Amino acid sequence: MVLLDYLRTIRRLTGTKEGCREGDCGACAVLIGELKNDAVAYKVVNSCLLPMGLAAGKHIVTIEGLTADANPIHRAFIDEHASQCGFCTPGMIIALTAYLLSAVKIKAEEAIDALDGNICRCTGYLSIKRAVAAVCADLSPKLDSNRIDDLVKAAVIPEYFKTMPKQLRSIRQPRGDQHPTDALIAGGTDLFVQQAETLETAELYFLEKMQHPVWEEDGVCFLDAAATIADLKESEFLQELFPRLGEMISLISSTPIRNKATVGGNLVNASPIGDLSILLLALDASLHLSGHVQERCIKLREFFVEYKKINLAAHEIIKSISFKTPDESVLFNFEKVSKRRHLDIAGVNSALLLRPEDGLIKEIHISAGGVAPIPLYLAQTSVFLTDKKVEPNTVMKAVQIAESEISPISDVRGSAEYKRALLGRLLQAHFIALFPDLMREVIV
Amino acid sequence: MAGWKSPEQMTYVGKEVTRVDGAEKVSGRAKYTHDVYFPRMLYARILRSPHPHAQVISVDTTRAEALTGVKAVLGKLRDEVNYVGDEVAAVAAVTEFKAAEALSLIKVEYKVLPFVVRESEAMRDSAARVFSGREKNVGDWEEEHEGDVERGFAEAEVIIERTFHMNVQVHTPFETHGCVAKWEGDELYMWDSTQGVHGTRSGLAQHLQMPENKIHIYTHHMGGGFGSKFGPKSYNAVCAQLARIANVPVKLLLDREEELLATGNRPSSFQTIKIGARKDGTLTAFQLESYGSGGVGGGAGVPAPYIYYFPNWSVRHRDVYINAGAAAPMRAPGHPQAAFAMDSIMDELAAALGMDPLDLRLKNDRNSTRQQEYVIGAEKIGWTNRHKSRVGHKVRGFGMGAGQWGGGGERSTKAMVNIYADGSVDVRIGTQDIGVGTRTIVAAVAAEELELDLADIKPKIGESDFPWAPASGGSVTAPSVTPAVKRAAEKAKNKLKSIVAEKMGVAEDAVSYAGKIFSISGRAENISWQEACRFLEGSSISELETWGEGLSSWGTAGTQFAEVEVDIETGRVRLVKMVAVQDCGLVVNTLTARNQVNGAMIGEIGYALYENRLLDVETGIMPNADLENYKIPGALEMPDFDVTFFDQHERGVIGLGEPPAIPGMGAIANAVADAIGVRITELPITPDKVLMAIEKAKEGKA
Repeated sequence: MVLLDYLRTIRRLTGTKEGCREGDCGACAVLIGELKNDAVAYKVVNSCLLPMGLAAGKHIVTIEGLTADANPIHRAFIDEHASQCGFCTPGMIIALTAYLLSAVKIKAEEAIDALDGNICRCTGYLSIKRAVAAVCADLSPKLDSNRIDDLVKAAVIPEYFKTMPKQLRSIRQPRGDQHPTDALIAGGTDLFVQQAETLETAELYFLEKMQHPVWEEDGVCFLDAAATIADLKESEFLQELFPRLGEMISLISSTPIRNKATVGGNLVNASPIGDLSILLLALDASLHLSGHVQERCIKLREFFVEYKKINLAAHEIIKSISFKTPDESVLFNFEKVSKRRHLDIAGVNSALLLRPEDGLIKEIHISAGGVAPIPLYLAQTSVFLTDKKVEPNTVMKAVQIAESEISPISDVRGSAEYKRALLGRLLQAHFIALFPDLMREVIV
Repeated sequence: MAGWKSPEQMTYVGKEVTRVDGAEKVSGRAKYTHDVYFPRMLYARILRSPHPHAQVISVDTTRAEALTGVKAVLGKLRDEVNYVGDEVAAVAAVTEFKAAEALSLIKVEYKVLPFVVRESEAMRDSAARVFSGREKNVGDWEEEHEGDVERGFAEAEVIIERTFHMNVQVHTPFETHGCVAKWEGDELYMWDSTQGVHGTRSGLAQHLQMPENKIHIYTHHMGGGFGSKFGPKSYNAVCAQLARIANVPVKLLLDREEELLATGNRPSSFQTIKIGARKDGTLTAFQLESYGSGGVGGGAGVPAPYIYYFPNWSVRHRDVYINAGAAAPMRAPGHPQAAFAMDSIMDELAAALGMDPLDLRLKNDRNSTRQQEYVIGAEKIGWTNRHKSRVGHKVRGFGMGAGQWGGGGERSTKAMVNIYADGSVDVRIGTQDIGVGTRTIVAAVAAEELELDLADIKPKIGESDFPWAPASGGSVTAPSVTPAVKRAAEKAKNKLKSIVAEKMGVAEDAVSYAGKIFSISGRAENISWQEACRFLEGSSISELETWGEGLSSWGTAGTQFAEVEVDIETGRVRLVKMVAVQDCGLVVNTLTARNQVNGAMIGEIGYALYENRLLDVETGIMPNADLENYKIPGALEMPDFDVTFFDQHERGVIGLGEPPAIPGMGAIANAVADAIGVRITELPITPDKVLMAIEKAKEGKA
C-alpha cells in the first residue's frame, strides 16, 4: 500500500489529493521527516509513490497536520486568491512548508522553484507566486535561530513538532529483513508508476542508505547507490567539484521526486534518456555490484545492453558508483532540451567531460540520451576528439561522427530527424559553453 | 427592480473579495467528490477497450464475480467499442485494487475491426469505418456565404492562402471525473464532480427511467472541469447501477489515464484559408475550407470569418470521425481554433502588404471596444518600439491576437433568499462552483443588496434540490446567477420592509432601509436589521425570484499580445511577457476575475506550446495518456502577465471564463514567426517544429 491510499481511505485524511498517481502533479504531496543528527529533517515527497514501508519510523505531515488557525501561508493563499478550484492547494502549501523548514535563507524566488513538482490548472500561477512572495516577505525576518521554534511561533507548524526528535528516537527504526522478497525498493518513484498493482500486495525489501551518500577514497569519488538525487545536490563535496551542480540537478525531475529517487534506481531503470545516466557516463563512472557470491565492478558504459536491458544478474544490486575525482583542470558540461524546462523528460540530453593539456584534448568522454535505445556513451566521437585541438572544424567533424553513432527514433518527444539535429547542436553547445573564445565563429 | 449601483458605491460587488470558502480550501477541509466516504462503501472500476474498434462478442464475468471482495458486476456495457478507452464492463469491490483485479478476470471476446485515427485518412472513401454500419466517416458539409467571394478575390491586390492545423487539447481538470452513488429506498443521492447538478439530475432520470424528484445531485467543491464535466456521463449511470446491485454506496473515480482517454477534449482543426486585400489593407474576400475531428463525437466547426470584416466570404466545414475519445466543450469551443488561424494569416497578409499587423487589424476590425483595446495592449507590450533583438542564439519576437465571445445570462435561473428570525440569511441556488468562486459572488451580491456583512450570508450552492441554475459553462454563470440572487435578495428585503410596516402600523412606502437600519418617515425611532428579523419569530422569509433583464449582458471583446524568446539552437520557445486587454462588463469580483484571465492564458500557453493528444496510427493507442508525457505548464513556465480590464460596468455582468482563452495562440504563433522569420502553421509549437522550420528556411535560402 502506498501512503496516499493509507491517508485517504484508512485515516480519512482527505486533504491530500490524488491528481495523477505518477508523481507529476504534486496534489498528494506530504512532508516526510527523518532524524538527522539530533534534529528532524523535513522534505516534500509524493505520497502516491511512497510505499508504507518507507514511511515507517518517519514523521509524516499532511495538510491537516499544519497549524490551521492564523497560519500565514493560509492567509496569503486566501488573500491572493491563490486557491481557485483548490485541488492542488494542499500540495502547494505542503511544498512551500517543506521549503520553509529546510531552506537556509528564505528567498521568494527559490521558494517558487520549490513548487517545481506542483501543477495548477486554474490560476495561471500568478496568484500563487504572489502568495509565496508574501509568505517569504512575512516570514524571512522571523526565521533566524531555531527553524522549528520559529515556525511554531509563526503559526506555520504546531507546537508538537518540537517533540518530534524525541518521539522518533523513541521508536525503534525499522530494519529491512533479508528474506527473499518480491521486489527491491530504493526510492520507488518509477516502480510505483509502472507496477502499482503488482506491488500493492507484493513483499517489499527496502534498500538502506549508507552512512554517507558521497565520499572520496584515493582520488576516486563514490556515490551510495541508495543516495537520493537530493543527497547529491546537497553534497558539499560535489558542489565543490561541479560549481553548476545545483543548476544541473534542478533540471532533473522535480523537488519531491529528487527527494526520493535514487542514483542506483535511476541507472537500473535504464531509461535511454535518464539524466543521471548521461551525467555519470560522461564521468566515465564504474559500478560496484554485489551479489550472493561475489562482488564485481563494471564500467557504466558496459552496463546498458539494449533497451531496458542491463548487465545485472537477478541476485545482484548496485552498491555504489564511482568515478575518478576530476581535478581542477577538468571541464564538465550538461545540456538538456525538453518541451518544459522543469519536470519534463528530455528530448535529447548530453554531457561532456574534457581534460585539456598543452592546448590539446587529453581526455574526453561524451554521452547522449534520447538518441539510441540505451543511454549512449559516444565512444567513437570521444576517441576522435582525443589529442585534438579545440577548433570549430574539429567540433563539426565530431558532430558528424556522433551522428553515425546514434540511432534516434520518432516518439512523443520529437521526430528522429529533430533529435539527430538537436544532438549536433548540443555537442556544439558543450564546446561553446566551455570554450566561448575558440568557438566564436560558430556562435556568430 | 433596481439596477446595479456604480462600482464606487458598492461594498462587495466590483471589489476584491477573498473567497468565502478559502479557509476550507487551504486547510484541506473542503470536501470534493473524491473526498466523500461512507461506511461499507465500495470502489468501482470500468473495464475499457484496448482496441480502437471492435465488436464485443461476449463478456464473461464469472471469474470476476467469484473473486472475494467483489460485490457487483455490470457486464457488456455496449455491443461495439469505438476507441481505446471505450467502456466495456464495470465492477464494484471492497477496494480499488480489488476492483482492478476483478477487471483483469473478466473475459471479453472481441471481434477486432479495422479503425482509423488520422483525420486525412478517415475522410477517404476507402478508409476503415469508425462506426460499423455507417456509410462514411464524415458529416455533411456545412456551408455559408455572404457577398460575392469571386468578385472579392478579383478586387484583391494581394491574396494569401495557407493551411493551419490545430492539435487536440485535453481539459485535464485536477479532480478527475467521478461520483459516489448512494441509494435510500428508491431515491438516489449522488455526489458528482459535475459542472451542472440540474443537468445531471434530469439526464440521469431519463437514463435510469426514474422521476427527477427522486434524484439528488451534490457538488459542494469541485476540482475544475473546463467544459469536460457537463453531466451526466456514462460513469454516473454505471455507478448508480452498481450501487443498486450491491445495495451499499459505491464510489467510481476515473484515473488520470481514463481522464485523458475518455472524458472529452478540444477537437482538432484543419483550416485552409484564402484571404484577399487591397494594397491599403482593406480586406475584400475570405474563403475557408475546414475539417476537424472530435473523435467519435462531433463539434469541430469554427466560427468564420473570425472577427474581422470581409464584405465577401464563403466557408465550408465538415466534421470527420476517427476512432478516438469524444470531444467535449472546452473553454470557448471553436473560437481558439478560428482565432489562431485567422490571426496567423492576418500577420502573413500584413507581411505581404508591408503593413504593421496592428494597423491591419485597426483597419479591418469593426468592434469599437477592440479598437480601443488594441491601442491599450500595444502600449503595454511596447509595440511601436518593439524590435527583434538577438542575444547569442536567442531571438525575440512580438505578436498579437484577438477574440470575441457571447456569454450572457439564462432567463430561467432562479434563486431563493431566506431571512431567519435571528437575522441570519441564506441564499440557495442550484449553481455550482467549478473553482472560479461562484459561492463568493452569490454571497457578495446578496450582502450588497441586503447591505449586510459578507459573513452574515450563507451561500448554499451545488445541490440539485436548490432552485434551477444553468450548468457552469460558456461564461454564463455570473450573468445568470448574479441577477437572480440580486432580485431575490431585493424581494426578500422588501418583504421584510412590509413586515416592519405592518408591525409599526405604517404604510409600506413609509419604511426605508439603509445600512442595516429600517427607518420610518416622520418618526424618530429606528429599527435595526436584527430587531426587524425578530418580527419573523415562528416563521421566516423565503423569497424565490428569477433572472431579470438589465443586470447582465452578453458579448465580449479582447486582445492579447505576446513577447517570446526563441532559442534557434534548440528550437525552444520561452514566453517573456503576455498582455491581455479584456472587457467583461461589470467585474463582479476583481480578484477572482484576474485569476480567470491568468488561468485562461496559461491554458493558451499549454495549447500553443506543449499540449497535444497523440494517437498511434498503427495501434490507435494514445501514447501520452499520462501527465509525464501530456505536458501542461508548470509554475516556472509562467511569463510576466499584464491584464487590463476594459471597464464597461454600465453593461452589467458578463461572463469571463471563455473570452481570455481565445486570442493567445495567435499572439504566440505570430511572435514566434516574428522572431524566426518562418511561420509554424501547426500547433503545438514544439522545439522540433521550430528547429526543423529554421533548418528548412536555411536550405531554401542556400
